[in-house]
Amino acid sequence: MHKEIQIKRYLPEEHAEPFWQTFRVPYDETTSVLGALNYIKEELDSTVSFRWSCRMAICGSCGYMVNGIPKLGCKDFVRNYPAALRIEPLAHFTVERDLMVAMDEFLQHLEAVKPYLIAEPSEPHKPHRQTPAQLAKYKQFANCINCGLCYAACPQFGLNPEFVGPGAIALAHRYNLDSRDQGKAKRMPVLNTHDGVWSCTFVGFCSDVCPKGVDPAAAVNQGKVESAKSMLIQMFRGGA
Amino acid sequence: MSQRWQGLHLEPLWWGLFSAGGVCFAVFVPAAALVFGVLAPLGVIELNYLKLHVWYGSWWGLMFTGTVICLPAFHAAHRIRHGLHDLKVGGGCWSILICYGIAAIVSVSALWVWFNA
Repeated sequence: MHKEIQIKRYLPEEHAEPFWQTFRVPYDETTSVLGALNYIKEELDSTVSFRWSCRMAICGSCGYMVNGIPKLGCKDFVRNYPAALRIEPLAHFTVERDLMVAMDEFLQHLEAVKPYLIAEPSEPHKPHRQTPAQLAKYKQFANCINCGLCYAACPQFGLNPEFVGPGAIALAHRYNLDSRDQGKAKRMPVLNTHDGVWSCTFVGFCSDVCPKGVDPAAAVNQGKVESAKSMLIQMFRGGA
Repeated sequence: MSQRWQGLHLEPLWWGLFSAGGVCFAVFVPAAALVFGVLAPLGVIELNYLKLHVWYGSWWGLMFTGTVICLPAFHAAHRIRHGLHDLKVGGGCWSILICYGIAAIVSVSALWVWFNA
């Protein structure tokens, strides 16, 4: 079986504008979109650029728009597209070359919410104990692989790149819910802003496209409750 | 500006009204539409104007006004405001003033009618 695959090329040193290029690729039931891209790179045109690494939906490198929907190339299969198959770089990000985008906007937002444990160990060299119930509170949100599909799906991030966005807010929420963490007061000022949780209009497409079932829309909207509480407390206490 | 008010804004208030209005839209508005729009016109239930007027003048009438008119009005205003934002129309203060202003006028009018019932 063969498939016509269209790829949106962008070669800034040769063409000012992006253009579509069609490749004819052999495939079977097991050919992933990433597999097809690798065939193109190895057999048809070595100048096609795209990121990938693990091939098992862990590294989060191979995010592309496949027929207009954000997908991980390794987790999506050519057999899913009986008609046309068009691959573009992730929406809402700056395109560097072909299917490669600059992830800087996302990484800046991610850094701003301090996505790591902030805790003073009470007894050094001893483990932080946690019950299964405490783990269950945040475990779902800990599955994020920073692939950026939710940012490509989010129309609010498309309108306003200053929006902290679903992925970073989901990870902020993950650490805020962690019983070992004491950094919530440091994260809330970022989430409380207009560009924090309040830019979300609950479209929910971020959760639809998440390849790891993280449900960032739930994190953002639970974050709104937390943010409203945080602002009320600030108002009554006179400080964060 | 004191630290107390630093970084605060009204979005949680609008969102709170939107959330409360959403529950009302889902629960009370369909019930009101069923009773007054379907069951009463079809004659399935009998509505007596005088009894209804007395009921409306009580605290139940105030609750009806809040859950079927005021909160849904703010819910709709919030949704329309964000819809306008998505369409890149009426950014800034104008959409806030117009959307929540209309919801406030509708709410105050409904409460005024109840108060004078």
